[in-house]
Amino acid sequence: MTTNNLHHFCSTNSAKVLWKIRITFVSLFFICLSSCDSFTETDIPTSELNEFAVFEQKNTANAAMTDIYAKIRDNGILTGKTYGTGKILGLYTDELSWWGGDADPSKQFYSNSVQANNLVIAEWWNSAYNAIYASNAIIEGVTASTALLKSDKDQLLGEAKFVRGLLYFYLIQLYGDVPYITTTDYTVNVKVSRMPKVEIYNKIIKDLNEASELLPKNYISEGRVRPNFYAAKALLARVYLYNRNWDEAANSASAVLNNTEIYIWQEDLSNVFLKTSTTAIWQLMPRTAIRNSDDAFTFIFNSGPPPQVALSMNLVNSFESGDLRKKLWTRAITNGPNTWHHAYKYKKSSTSNPQQEYSIVLRLSEQYLIRAEARAQQGELIGAKEDLNKIRNTAGLPSTTAVSQSEIVIAILKERRVEFFTEFGHRFMDLKRAEQLDLALRNVKESWNTTDKLLPIPQNEINLNPAIAPQNPGY
Amino acid sequence: MAYSFILGVSLFSSSSNANNTLAYATVQQQQPSKISGTITDGIGPVPGVTIAVKGKSLTVISDYKGEYVIEASPTDILVFSFMGFKTVEVSISSQKIVNVELKEDATALQEVKINAGYYSVKEKERTGSIAKITSKDIETQPVTNVLAAMQGRMAGVNITQQTGTGGSNFSIQIRGLNSLRKDGNAPLYIIDGVPYSSESIGYGITSTNMPGPTSPLNNINPADIESIDVLKDADATAIYGSRGSNGVVLVSTKKGKKGKTKFSGALSQGTGKVVRYMKMLNTEQYLAMRAEAFANDGITTYPDDAYDINGTWDKNRYTDWQKELIGGTAQITNINASVSGGSDLTQFLISTNYSKETTVFPGNFAYKKANVRLNVNHESEDKKFRINFTGGYTLQGNNQPSTDLTTEASLLAPNAPALYDEAGNLNWENNSFNNPLRNLNGLFKSKTYDLVANTLLSYSLIKNTEVKVNLGYTDLNHGESSTFPSTIYNPAFSFGSDMSYIFYNTTARQSWIIEPQLNWKASLRDIKTDILIGSTFQQQNNKLQAFQGSGFTSNSLIYNPAAASTTQVMAHNESVYKYHSLFGRINLNWKEKYIMNLTGRRDGSSRFGPGNNFAWFGAVGFAWIFSIEDFFKDNNILSSGKLRTSYGTTGSDQIGNYQFLNSYSPANAYYQGVIGLQPTRLYNANFGWETNKKLEIAIETGFFDDRLFFTAALYRNRSSDQLVGIPLPGTTGFASLQSNLDATVENRGLELTIRTVNLQTKDFSWISSLNFSTAKNKLISFPHLEESTYSNKYVIGQPLNIQKVYQYNGIDPQTGMYSFEDVNGDGKITALEDKQTIKDLNPSYFGGVHNQFKYKRWNLDFLFQFVKQKNFNTAAMIAVPGTKFNQQIAVLDHWQQPGDASTTQIYTSGANQAAVQALYNYVASDGVILDASYVRLKNIALSFDFPNKWFPSMNCKARLESQNLLTITSFKGSDPESTSIGFTPPLRVITAGLQFNF
Repeated sequence: MTTNNLHHFCSTNSAKVLWKIRITFVSLFFICLSSCDSFTETDIPTSELNEFAVFEQKNTANAAMTDIYAKIRDNGILTGKTYGTGKILGLYTDELSWWGGDADPSKQFYSNSVQANNLVIAEWWNSAYNAIYASNAIIEGVTASTALLKSDKDQLLGEAKFVRGLLYFYLIQLYGDVPYITTTDYTVNVKVSRMPKVEIYNKIIKDLNEASELLPKNYISEGRVRPNFYAAKALLARVYLYNRNWDEAANSASAVLNNTEIYIWQEDLSNVFLKTSTTAIWQLMPRTAIRNSDDAFTFIFNSGPPPQVALSMNLVNSFESGDLRKKLWTRAITNGPNTWHHAYKYKKSSTSNPQQEYSIVLRLSEQYLIRAEARAQQGELIGAKEDLNKIRNTAGLPSTTAVSQSEIVIAILKERRVEFFTEFGHRFMDLKRAEQLDLALRNVKESWNTTDKLLPIPQNEINLNPAIAPQNPGY
Repeated sequence: MAYSFILGVSLFSSSSNANNTLAYATVQQQQPSKISGTITDGIGPVPGVTIAVKGKSLTVISDYKGEYVIEASPTDILVFSFMGFKTVEVSISSQKIVNVELKEDATALQEVKINAGYYSVKEKERTGSIAKITSKDIETQPVTNVLAAMQGRMAGVNITQQTGTGGSNFSIQIRGLNSLRKDGNAPLYIIDGVPYSSESIGYGITSTNMPGPTSPLNNINPADIESIDVLKDADATAIYGSRGSNGVVLVSTKKGKKGKTKFSGALSQGTGKVVRYMKMLNTEQYLAMRAEAFANDGITTYPDDAYDINGTWDKNRYTDWQKELIGGTAQITNINASVSGGSDLTQFLISTNYSKETTVFPGNFAYKKANVRLNVNHESEDKKFRINFTGGYTLQGNNQPSTDLTTEASLLAPNAPALYDEAGNLNWENNSFNNPLRNLNGLFKSKTYDLVANTLLSYSLIKNTEVKVNLGYTDLNHGESSTFPSTIYNPAFSFGSDMSYIFYNTTARQSWIIEPQLNWKASLRDIKTDILIGSTFQQQNNKLQAFQGSGFTSNSLIYNPAAASTTQVMAHNESVYKYHSLFGRINLNWKEKYIMNLTGRRDGSSRFGPGNNFAWFGAVGFAWIFSIEDFFKDNNILSSGKLRTSYGTTGSDQIGNYQFLNSYSPANAYYQGVIGLQPTRLYNANFGWETNKKLEIAIETGFFDDRLFFTAALYRNRSSDQLVGIPLPGTTGFASLQSNLDATVENRGLELTIRTVNLQTKDFSWISSLNFSTAKNKLISFPHLEESTYSNKYVIGQPLNIQKVYQYNGIDPQTGMYSFEDVNGDGKITALEDKQTIKDLNPSYFGGVHNQFKYKRWNLDFLFQFVKQKNFNTAAMIAVPGTKFNQQIAVLDHWQQPGDASTTQIYTSGANQAAVQALYNYVASDGVILDASYVRLKNIALSFDFPNKWFPSMNCKARLESQNLLTITSFKGSDPESTSIGFTPPLRVITAGLQFNF
């Protein structure tokens, strides 16, 4: 526009017109100068999606949810990789022995001398809160969305609440009282303080109850890689058990166990950890179509001495003779006079086509043992033994000889050890809730301390947010 | 260096027909008569001199013979003026022939107009800190990169060449590092008023043959440049607001000049060789080292793969692999042609340029560049309206090996076998020899197309008031690829084309700018006032895509992604950058003695967070020209003197686009076969620019008619609001937040320039100039440094460019191994705890000494560049002494038995793990950080003007030029300037050329 005006200038001769044009020009000029502040507003780049757009379409909202599972699978507490709780808490208790180097952060767990600046401590914390942030973002985004169908909204809200409940459950097992995050606003989250464990348990129960109401009974896709109603119930059963709410624990476990169409008991132990396992309640799907679980890679070795971890002799010796789980779920490696054992629940440490194993986070045996324990605590001893024997008999063992309530409870705890070894820290958490950590570990682990029942809060967290001080006792 | 304006660009004006000059006369005189004459400088004719009739608008220009014809009345006075010479006035009275001898004027420097971007200012009235070079400095240098042309010539501007490969990058720092972020330290580049983004157009993994991704600055053709002005202090840079923090580089290209149509051409041809080679062991020394290494390790039977010493390879063979692999000669060709001319009202310039530079590697590789430019100026008859258009289009093609051979050239055993077998095929010596030439099968190819166009319209609205609009457009398209075909592997692996892979990257960048401006000049009593207000609208769109393709059906299909069995998108980034601002300047000049310059800018940028879009920047500068004060009036020594100071704020918006947004982006992790979407970052509305507060005080003095000119500038820049990843507690879901941290970086320094006219006689002149810069860079504060990702990189109170290393304690006389200080005393050498020694890699001072000799028709011009610095001794870092890799001869002084004091540790074949670890620690210790200071004959140029009688119809000049001819250094690595490991050092270039005008 300016160019045209200027050309007019050159051709015009009339002084009057010239002045008019001059005035027009000057005013135009100042209009241009006066700030068009809105000019600097830009749209979101096409290579990214804004937080609202993500939740306007089912596909993208779904991809935001599945990314949380991918992250849970690849990092932090529930990963099958080397810094997951399966290996690390196995070392921390009496399941695994350490054969790797001193500089590896795993070593501090094995020697029960975890420092507050331990890398694994920070990774568990950070990846859990990252997934909690993502879950909160989904809850905020889906709630605000106007385009998603109600059924899709329910599914995503249910999953996000399930994940949030799941991660807080592990966080309080590991760290005790922790901050509870409900928003995505960092200005709030940067200075949160810790919430008592009891209150967090209530929030977990609320999340899981809501999740079970929101989620469908059937799995929404092939495999059992997205949580459904029963996954929420199964986790709820565990949370009630940990809270000694025996009645609800038994009811929730029954809700799962009663659906014998989806959850078919597996008599052959070799089939339990397959991707097609009918006792799986919730699995994590590997990264690609030919990969198997990361757990196999973490535990399996083919020649001794072991590169990283082996099963402790304490665990190996705790199997009753004839226990098929020892035969099928562990493997002995011999080199000269020495023999080592490794966990062999997952057998495929490399790729295979078709893939065979998924990492299973929630499985049916736990529900039997939860109900067994809940029933025993309620005095329903027959029912308790029935559930316990289901597990024992499948493992090729005779029915339990326990008679009294306390004997049965002890037998269940013992059974859990040989059933869930190297699975996401069951052993640590069982001993802890039974208040038997000191009893079980102080003779086995040289430097075990009572204060080791809680891990340290990552030192960086306290440095950056003094509101979460003090550090847990003993660190 | 600033004296180089002395001769203007259109040195050779061309009218041979005296009548033609009349055509420029626009006003006829009463009773006029023809006056003619010849203008000389005592040696030869001076073309291009403006001859004006005093008080009239009539002007003519002298032709290439220095002759002119003008119509004037006997009462008139003729004024002869030419840049760099004293203006001469002659009364005509009854003369018909007026011959004039012009005298070079050293003081003319003070009258030179300095480009300050939105305005220009006379050198003597300048309040800001601006360094300048002109085409005179550039044309003596056989270089293809604009930054290369500036090297060593400007105080406070530190430029280093990263590698000698054609089309490679230079790094630049103007007054030190201001930002904690590596990519936040680039200056703002402006070409003829159009901002030119220097953000890389390559992608790390596709630019494998260079230390960094491809820079777009190669698109600027040095031969097109009329002048480069570098703005440094607040007074000069605050008008660029949020983009002025790291300095501003203003590039002005050549413009058409009035006069008869002039053709110019230049042709030069030359060669380039690697500047320095490392002194390596010969076969005898090498094999002795190997034998001793095995003996030390107690190995008596040489292993099967010790081909060099176990008899597989000829033990008497010797090859200097550096000569063989990087010892070639690069051919350098440069051709320029231009046509210019025009009338009083309309002038034009069309120029074109072609250059080609091959490599020092064996094989047929080259970097080529071609460009064409058009400049047209027009002025209306009433002189009120002016338009100036410049458009340039540059094409670049680069074809290089995708892997630089420099590393292998130094590593290969000197008795390694021949490169080719008798049949002329690559020799793999029965699979014992990993032939280095296999690397030449992998290619780096790039093509860049770049358009820069701008139009400047101006109109003189009313008296003293001018309205201007600057319109600009740039369009850049770049594509590059690196291939790694299966043929880069030894055929023994029997890899097929299914193992071949390619990385490719395309970048497209467009930008436009509109800048309306209003300029008003007035004199109020003794105060001259110059007021400018303006506004900027700018948008830049950027799109980068990078792919990997692998597994091809055939290696000949490697450039066809459809033939790849897997393709992976490695990056896809699109961004829009919008920028809008208001700027202004008020300049008050009282009696040309006291000058105050106020500049300011209100910037809005799409890169800043919402509610934080706008920011104010401003500066005030004062100058006091004390030499015209009464008390200096009658002295013969001080000819000019000025004291100036400035203070103000500038900013940096090199913070990336969209960094405040909480968007979702693809996560590169699959679940259920779908790529997840992850929250990219936290929402941060407080996200803004980095602020740099600059303070400067300077003195500029000329003595003895400015034959000795001295300037000194002291500055202190404090850069704060550092945009870094601020560490966050994990409860926020993220480890850090890109935000402005209350961290401060300080740069303070001293810059000196001295220019002396040592001798000036009729036939001979000698002018010298020196620039010297010394600076201290310091991180003053950084809250929560320990928790941040920068904790191992920066130390408060230390410069940014430091290395934390082990303290080297010499060789343990007992074990013969390198030993280090165990700082925490835990008996182990561990990186985190024991790397506590801090080494500053910033140059402690640098500068250049420039001399120009002129004897009759001969011109000799040379520049020594000097840098005092420490850097990694790359030579000591190649490999463990004693292993199957060659070493520099320094390793001969090595430990052999207890009690030996030596500089190299015990040889090992690799079996001595402790010795291998000691070498690794050594490489990360202060033992390898040595003096890397150097003095380099950066540029030397000799030229000869052919006498007119040789070629009566043209002016002709022969040139002999060289870059990096001589280097004086005690540095042990290959080159002290570019210490990036594994890349070709800069080349020593020698060219001969011919330049002509007619």
